[in-house]
Amino acid sequence: MTERISTLRERIVAKRHQQALQTPEKQLAEAYKQLGLTPQERMVRRLEFLMAAEKPAMEADERIVFTRTIRSQPEIFAPDEWAQIRAGHYIHELGFVSNVTPNYYGLIRDGFARRRQDIEAVLQNARPEERPFLDGQLRVMQSVSGLAARYREQARRMGNEVVAAVLEQVPEQGAKTFHEALQFFRILHFTLWLEGEYHNTIGRFDRHMIGYLEQDLASGRLDEDGAFELLEEFFLSFNKDSNLYPGVQQGDNGQSMVLGGRDPQGGTVFNRLTRMCLEASRELKLIDPKINLRVDRETPLETYRLGTELTREGLGFPQYSNDDVVIPGLVALGYDPEDAIDYSVAACWEFIIPGKGMDVANIGAVSFPHIVDEAMREDLPEAVSFDAFLEQVGQRVDEVCRSIVRSCANLWFIPAPFLSLLTDGSLARRQDISLGARYNNWGLHGTGIATAIDSLAAIRQKIYEEGSLTPAELIDAVDQDFAGYEILLHQLRYESPKFGDGNETSETLAVWLLGRFADAVKDLHNERGGRIRAGTGTAMYYLWHVRDLPASPDGRRKGEPLAANYTPSLFARVPGPLSIIQSFTRPDLTRVINGGPLTLEFHDTLFRTQDSRDKVSTLVKWYIDRGGHQLQLNAVNRDVLLDARAHPEQHRQLIVRIWGWSAYFCELDEAYQDHVLRRTAYDCVG
Amino acid sequence: MASGVIFDIKEMSVNDGPGIRTTVFFKGCPLRCRWCHNPEGLSFEPEIKESGLPCLGCGLCRQPCGHEDCRPFGRCLHICPQGRLKQVGERVEASALADRIKRQADFLLANGGVTLSGGEPLAQPDFLIELERSLKPLHLALETSGQAPLPVFQAACALADLVMIDIKHMDPGQHKRWTGADNRRILANIAWLKARDIPFIVRVPLIPGVNDSQENLAATAAFLADVPALRHVELLPYNTLAGSKYASVGRTYDPGFDETRPPNIDCTPFAARGICCQVL
Repeated sequence: MTERISTLRERIVAKRHQQALQTPEKQLAEAYKQLGLTPQERMVRRLEFLMAAEKPAMEADERIVFTRTIRSQPEIFAPDEWAQIRAGHYIHELGFVSNVTPNYYGLIRDGFARRRQDIEAVLQNARPEERPFLDGQLRVMQSVSGLAARYREQARRMGNEVVAAVLEQVPEQGAKTFHEALQFFRILHFTLWLEGEYHNTIGRFDRHMIGYLEQDLASGRLDEDGAFELLEEFFLSFNKDSNLYPGVQQGDNGQSMVLGGRDPQGGTVFNRLTRMCLEASRELKLIDPKINLRVDRETPLETYRLGTELTREGLGFPQYSNDDVVIPGLVALGYDPEDAIDYSVAACWEFIIPGKGMDVANIGAVSFPHIVDEAMREDLPEAVSFDAFLEQVGQRVDEVCRSIVRSCANLWFIPAPFLSLLTDGSLARRQDISLGARYNNWGLHGTGIATAIDSLAAIRQKIYEEGSLTPAELIDAVDQDFAGYEILLHQLRYESPKFGDGNETSETLAVWLLGRFADAVKDLHNERGGRIRAGTGTAMYYLWHVRDLPASPDGRRKGEPLAANYTPSLFARVPGPLSIIQSFTRPDLTRVINGGPLTLEFHDTLFRTQDSRDKVSTLVKWYIDRGGHQLQLNAVNRDVLLDARAHPEQHRQLIVRIWGWSAYFCELDEAYQDHVLRRTAYDCVG
Repeated sequence: MASGVIFDIKEMSVNDGPGIRTTVFFKGCPLRCRWCHNPEGLSFEPEIKESGLPCLGCGLCRQPCGHEDCRPFGRCLHICPQGRLKQVGERVEASALADRIKRQADFLLANGGVTLSGGEPLAQPDFLIELERSLKPLHLALETSGQAPLPVFQAACALADLVMIDIKHMDPGQHKRWTGADNRRILANIAWLKARDIPFIVRVPLIPGVNDSQENLAATAAFLADVPALRHVELLPYNTLAGSKYASVGRTYDPGFDETRPPNIDCTPFAARGICCQVL
């Protein structure tokens, strides 16, 4: 890290770069209401307003500029208008488009000027009702150009000729150099967040940026050190405004970068820039951007070794995804093969298609423990065999999936004019991305998979095999939160089969449950003509879903959290990572390709020697070779975490992984800190 | 059909031999090394272990339970709401244990193998030999103190692909003082091993003031000079966490040496004899 980057990093970590932050006093919503403006027009006007209100904020030593000076955006709807919209529609989360991968790279290549020509050509023959959308596209570009011009002037005034020269070219013209391409990306990313979209993911950075880098290296415009310095500064830019981004917790901002993988020609992407990105992330030790590494059966161990070097830093990434599983899984869901091969990762782990998706990959979550609980109460007393009971559970899975899809009817998003510029086909459709894109599928998380499997295994064993328990006793035990059933609690909790301990029963149940989940959504469609995708992620539902859940038949007491994502239950006693991987790769994971990783926690001592890091790499490769879909490893040290709780001031930079993102431990709410502390870490050294 | 008592199986063990190992810990050991960090491996009998979440003081484990397996302990193992009480020591059939481990045979064959450790594996010879036979063709490492009759040692080593054996002290009196037994058998067994072609590694736990003197290290090196099958010597500096598990099995850690003094870590006596020496 050069001294300049180190200084810049310090400045950003201490938030000294953000001193100019202001909240606009001007209210927009009432005026918009008076004028009777359409939502689309309001979003265009708001972005124009915000771009004009933004002040160039830069230092003379910066090479990549654009820092937010506006803390939060004024509303575009009056409260009664928003209430009315909500009453008539299903509004997903905050209502803005989120969790998609924009096609930054096409616009970086073309530049605004060429895009303007394209839009003007379409405008010539446009029908009147199409004009507002097309005009809006031109106006938002214009507003961005205006701010870029003011940055350019400011740079010139400060004597920062390098930045001024870059802004002569971009965003008006397409990028010609690596530096221009990075600056262009920054402008686009900055603008999306300001427009209101969130969880704006980064996509396949190395695949699209390598050309600029190689060209500059070949021409001598840049050397490797210079390129690396620019890249590090670019990485830092993701941390400049991230405290202003919406999320469940600080850090949940979706700035995921995807590296490696196959290209549409069938070659491998892994290149010089991939290595530089892994190295920059390792050196900077910040939670953004979040690194995802695409791998497959052919990936050499060397790649996993580089990944493990990053894991060692305790950042919670890279997260690995397996092309051999993800691509066929997406194709089976109806994605075109050439798009499936180009998949990226949404904010956490959901697999989506860059530039072409208006998938809502996190529209809802199926709580499997709730389903088992209801089946236990209503079906178990009557079920003549375990298979009969299982069939009832299956039918409930079907019904829950159908009901989630029904409950999302009349989905409506706030228009996203600027994001539409970064969406393939929006211009051809003359349609805002909020109304749909090439892919309009919805994804369902699957919460408490291990808890449900363990509960089913317990029911099978105690009620149908041993006959040592009646359904009425089990229901009563659960209702009493096991008070008066201490021996049963112990048996269920610590002496019954658990998914991840390598036993055949649980694995068979896992194959059945995930298969049934996939079957349940196979023929479902949403109102936009899209499919429904089953997944193994939990997001924050590992805490939320237990709020109204009683104890469960696996011996989980009321209130105890579920495991995050696709992971053994928190109190399961499992022999170790080999058994877990073996069990967790038994189900056909191509069918639950909404994503959600197996997560393994290792004590940080495992990463101390090269030899043991090589062994970790081998383990990751084994998971991929066995058909695992996604994997996320953490290097943790419980003692350090406990110390951080007692003395947060000494651990401000301590990073932990939460569900699909990493965070600074001390910035988390206690419930999330608790969950991290409850996870089992495998100590493989002592 | 031999059975034996083990106290743990650990997957993804990275410091117990080449590659990634699954390590089986045999319960029971004839030695009583004062620095032993695996107190649950000392007794041959199942024991009760308390660990994990704090005791609530609810007293449930003290109430009569009627479980056969709880009888020796006078406490119920199957009721603690905190999951604190566990039986350490499980009697298993060699073939069933081998089947369990071999579920991951593809991975272990390609990337490592199985390590038989303890306690002292040689102290349960029939079980050990049958287990070794059943685990083939996996790579097998035997981790032993060497405190066993020569025929047992020979049979077990012959089935192993790697032997990891300790030399705790070269002086018989000192050995007896610190481990409870002199070193005659151990050195005789190593003498036999030196003449074979079974690869082996010698481990020296470096205990401050006990065996880390220049003199003892030099004597150890002299004993191991010019042995083709010796891969290398590993020095294991004493870890002050050694005593941390004693309370959980109701024992008291009383090392009898100055734990706080850092051990003398010195590879030169081995290097002088042309022996590769690593510090772990």
